[in-house]
Amino acid sequence: MTQVNITIEDIPATTQGQIAKIVKFQGQLDESNVDEKAKTIYAVIEQNPQNLYLILDFEELEYMNSKSIGYLTDWYGKISEGKGKIVIAKARSNILDILQVVGLTQLINCYNTLDEAKFALLRQDTPGAAQPQ
Amino acid sequence: MENNPQTIETKPVRITITLPTNAYFMSGIRNFTLGLIRNMTEFSEQWAFRFQSIVDELCNNAIEHGSEPGRDITITFVSTPHDSIEILVQDTGSGKNKMNAQELKKLVVERRDPKYVHTGIRGRGLSKIVAEWTDELEFKDIDKGGIEVRIKKFLNDPKLKEMSQYLESPNHLVLN
Repeated sequence: MTQVNITIEDIPATTQGQIAKIVKFQGQLDESNVDEKAKTIYAVIEQNPQNLYLILDFEELEYMNSKSIGYLTDWYGKISEGKGKIVIAKARSNILDILQVVGLTQLINCYNTLDEAKFALLRQDTPGAAQPQ
Repeated sequence: MENNPQTIETKPVRITITLPTNAYFMSGIRNFTLGLIRNMTEFSEQWAFRFQSIVDELCNNAIEHGSEPGRDITITFVSTPHDSIEILVQDTGSGKNKMNAQELKKLVVERRDPKYVHTGIRGRGLSKIVAEWTDELEFKDIDKGGIEVRIKKFLNDPKLKEMSQYLESPNHLVLN
C-alpha cells in the first residue's frame, strides 16, 4: 500500500458553534489506500455533522488520483449540507493542476498559506478576506 | 555495429512493462513515468506530472474493469523524439466489471458532455483527466480478449509552450 498519513488538528473557532480543524495530508493518495484513508474524514464529518470548517493542508500531498478527487467532492457536499465550509491550503502545482482539470477549484477555494485559508474559512464575510489562488 | 546519431535521435523508443493486477504496483509505475517523461522526452515538468496521472488512471481502469486479480496488464510507452508520446494500456478482458471498447468509449463520451454531472466517487479518470490532457484517445478490442486504450500527446501543441512559461510560478494555474 502506498504511504499516506492524515493528521487532524483542532483550531480555535471564531463563532460559537463552529468546529474548525486542519487536516494535514502527507504522501500519496491512490487506488491502494484512498478507500481506507477516506474513512478518517468521514468519521470527522459524522462526529460533526453541522458547522464543520475544514482546512485541507496539501503541502506534503504528493499525488492524488481521480478517486480521491471523488471523495473530496463528496466531503464538500456533506460539509456544505451541514452549513460548514471546506478549503484547501498550500497545494503543490501538480495537485492544483489536477484539481483544476476536474473542475474542483470551482467548488473549493485554494489558498497559498494556512493563514490565508484560516482567514477565508473562518471570517469569509469580513471585507478584505483573502482571495483564493 | 555503427550507429547513426541522427537515426538514434529520431527513432521511436518503445518500452513495455507487464504488471500484475494490483494497485500496489502503481506507485512504482508512476515514478517510472515521471522519470521517463523528464529524462527521455522534451515535455515540460508540468506534463511529466500530467502523464503520471494519465498512466495511473489508465492502469486503474484496466485493473478495475479489464483484468481479474492474478492476471496482468501491459503498459507500453512509445516516445518519438521531437514529436510525441504514445501510451498504450492493455487488459485481458477477464475482469468482473469488464466492458468492451464500444461501451467504454460510449461511457467516456457521455461523461465528457458539459451537461454531465459527476455525482459518484468514480468516473472522472478517463473523461476528465485522460481525455482533457491528451490529443488522441482510442479504445480497441483485442483479438485475444480485453481492451487496448491508446493515448497520444504531440509536442507541437502550441499550448505547450505557453504552459511551460508559467511553471516558474507554482501558484499560476494554467487552463488546458
